[in-house]
Amino acid sequence: MALETRSQYQEELERLEASGLGGLDLVNSSLDRTLEAIQHQDVELAQLVIADDDRIDGRYLEVHQSLITLLATQSPVATDLRLISALLHVLKNVERMGDQCVNICKMIPLTGNEPPADEEMVKLILTMGRQTRTLISQSKRAFEDRNVEMARDLVRQDDLVDNLNRECFRLALEIGDDPDCREWAMTMLLAARAIERIGDNAVDIGEQVAFVVTGLFREFEDASHPNG
Amino acid sequence: MDSRDPAETLAMTEQNPEPQASPEAGAGLPRSTISIAGESATTPAKRSREIGNVELQGLNAYYGSNHAVRNVSLGFDSAKVTAIIGPSGCGKSTMVRCINRMHEEIAGARSEGRVLLDGLDLYDPRIDIVAVRRSVGMVFQKPNPFPTMSVIDNVTAGLRLTGASRGELEERGHQALIGAGLWDEVKDRLKGPGVGLSGGQQQRLCIARALAVDPEVLLMDEPCSALDPMATLRIEELIGELKERVTIVIVTHNMQQAARVADTTVFMLDGELVEVGPTDEIFTKPNDDRTEQYVTGKFG
Repeated sequence: MALETRSQYQEELERLEASGLGGLDLVNSSLDRTLEAIQHQDVELAQLVIADDDRIDGRYLEVHQSLITLLATQSPVATDLRLISALLHVLKNVERMGDQCVNICKMIPLTGNEPPADEEMVKLILTMGRQTRTLISQSKRAFEDRNVEMARDLVRQDDLVDNLNRECFRLALEIGDDPDCREWAMTMLLAARAIERIGDNAVDIGEQVAFVVTGLFREFEDASHPNG
Repeated sequence: MDSRDPAETLAMTEQNPEPQASPEAGAGLPRSTISIAGESATTPAKRSREIGNVELQGLNAYYGSNHAVRNVSLGFDSAKVTAIIGPSGCGKSTMVRCINRMHEEIAGARSEGRVLLDGLDLYDPRIDIVAVRRSVGMVFQKPNPFPTMSVIDNVTAGLRLTGASRGELEERGHQALIGAGLWDEVKDRLKGPGVGLSGGQQQRLCIARALAVDPEVLLMDEPCSALDPMATLRIEELIGELKERVTIVIVTHNMQQAARVADTTVFMLDGELVEVGPTDEIFTKPNDDRTEQYVTGKFG
């Protein structure tokens, strides 16, 4: 596709941003279904999430390719260049988030038809999921609005998810001696961990927002130097 | 220089018409390229790259009543490539032409402010204008080899005015061709006509001609705009090699070229200096909105 004028190029860039960030809506709906599948031990719904991940991957491939074309044909610089660089990152985050939903959904059939579910733990995981959903939406809005403040707030929101994840771990330790119960709890821990990772990806998107606006890339929080 | 009326400027140019050399300059090789009695801008024997620093102080340039360059103060560091970008008519070529006093050659044109080369005011009335042009070489948009001259004569044309011996001419002509990355291509046709070379080769021939007199500064006004991509690339590589020995100021409309070759980029608009900074900053995170608008192609 040849873009004849610079204004067409700007329109194309705007379209690609909307399309790339739209991937976060796909992730949200994937996460909704994943949570529902956990809540109701719905194996069919889980299969649907797995199958539907192709849409997220497709979005990734399509927008990624178009961004590469813009780089090759339009030599973007300054804000445009930072935006494209950031979008390439965000696409990767979107794709990873989708994969985490798939990871969870692959585990659901493993726990059997009527697992010995601990109600409190399921509740915790659903709360985690809803909180993570908020993070995803907030990361999208922060990007759209180029709002660094809102992007930084993702760290605080993500801390809530991390705390819930630790709470899940504590519950799993106390789940008792029954091997089936323990197996279920282990699986749920993995699910909680996957949700927690989705939250981390949302924070990464926030870092890209800061990069687009300021031109500087800094990790909001550095896991390997927590006090640095 | 002080503001002087065009008539006075003209009188001055007539005193030192190019390309006639002044008697002093003809006395030997132009190792000590430019000086006022007692002061010298170069260290003749061994050139360290501490030399070749250009500084503009409150430079204004006019074409009649048209105020083309507005109060620009700016430094060009030695061993660095500085690119000047900006839309057509923004004064970038005019500003560059003030550095080697080419601007004043145009009827009705004048300039105010100071242009310092290593602290020496190039507009000082005691300065020999020929020496200025030798210290500050220039390469233009279209290659302009002397049409009747051979390859080697083109390169040594400026040198011959300095009274260099035949042996010196040959030696320095060859060195200049090597420096301009043209030697291998022309060594078997040195006596052939300069205009028989390809466009890219002709431009490198002009660069060799400028280098032959050992300038401290090389001004390049859109040097690649008439060249194909490969010839352009060759010139850009050459710029990278030359910057160790000469301060380079390049005017370009090709922003990617500025991004590729320049250490520092200057953005001008309507005769004013809008922003100057490290090239990577200008093209990733410019400070001024107008720079942003220009480099992203929203105007210009």
